[in-house]
Amino acid sequence: MPQTRKVALVSGGSRGLGAELVSGFLDRRYGVATLSRTKTPFITDMLRARKRGHFHWGAVDGRDHEALRAFVKDVGERLGRIDVLVNNAGIAVEGILSTMRTSDIVEAVEVNLTAALVLAQACSRLMLRQGSGCIVNISSVNAIRGHSGVAVYSATKAALDGMTRSLARELGPRKIRVNSVAPGYFESDMVSDMTEEQKQRIARRTPLGRLAQIGEVANAVHFLTSDQASFITGQTLVVDGGITC
Amino acid sequence: MLTAPTPAKIESIVHGRIRAVLAERAVEVGTLSGADKLSATLGLSSLDLAFLVADLEAELGVDPFAKLVSITSVRSVEDLVRAYQQAFFPELQRRGEDDAVAAGAKRAQARRARRERR
Repeated sequence: MPQTRKVALVSGGSRGLGAELVSGFLDRRYGVATLSRTKTPFITDMLRARKRGHFHWGAVDGRDHEALRAFVKDVGERLGRIDVLVNNAGIAVEGILSTMRTSDIVEAVEVNLTAALVLAQACSRLMLRQGSGCIVNISSVNAIRGHSGVAVYSATKAALDGMTRSLARELGPRKIRVNSVAPGYFESDMVSDMTEEQKQRIARRTPLGRLAQIGEVANAVHFLTSDQASFITGQTLVVDGGITC
Repeated sequence: MLTAPTPAKIESIVHGRIRAVLAERAVEVGTLSGADKLSATLGLSSLDLAFLVADLEAELGVDPFAKLVSITSVRSVEDLVRAYQQAFFPELQRRGEDDAVAAGAKRAQARRARRERR
């Protein structure tokens, strides 16, 4: 692996927005590492294709903190550095809080929040030594606006935004930037269970009159990790077609 | 790391890394003393300390602050050196704990003696 390539670590890169980000970083000539619980056809294709040598995948459960740390260490050794961390892995947990199983609450906090903190901790150590780096947390419009049935999901995403602001202050002096991207509804597995009527209702409430394409959300992440965003840190960039404005 | 460094080597490495951080800020230091306070005397911030810990983990292959020692207990150069020495030589920690227990017992005995005199 040439050391000249920047390296991005994307959690949850086996499908959806994560897979889009993996492809986007590879297209931008980054070395890319990603972790997910299972190997999807996308990962198999990436491993088979020309990406070999610039692409690394690990089977890691986000609830296993030691495995997360070991993965970051392994990526640092294999690819030589980590310039970008995208905390993308997350699970959607829905239901009225008063009737939700405690184990589901704990799992959501573990996967959506604790795993992101552990990855940020491990990657920031490498970034501190490099004297540069960029972390992007994938938040949600649910961190900004309340909606019935997503209290736990909202709590984890709002916590990520809190982490973004504090970590930006903490790591800024060492030239490490930390930001959040808060997508609204976009075409992905997460809205695949919605009926057409539900999607149209969201589109009607959205000033731009439609759901986002997945690439439009990924573009915000690529912008924040690029040199064009070199003076942006501690911010949450909302990509929702105006639904929260 | 194949073999554990000696306690003296660990001290030398930790001192070297502290000097490197200070040099980065163009701070001239003569002889580093174990009693030097990392913050009050040397002017290191908590982020500098985080950088030092990351750097030392890369060099020594251990992070004593992951489980063994609380970073908040590190105030002086000597505290930092001892944390890394304990990671390689746990008996140093046990000895330190024994010393602390013995010192505590001695203080308690002195308090009892003072009360009895009154």
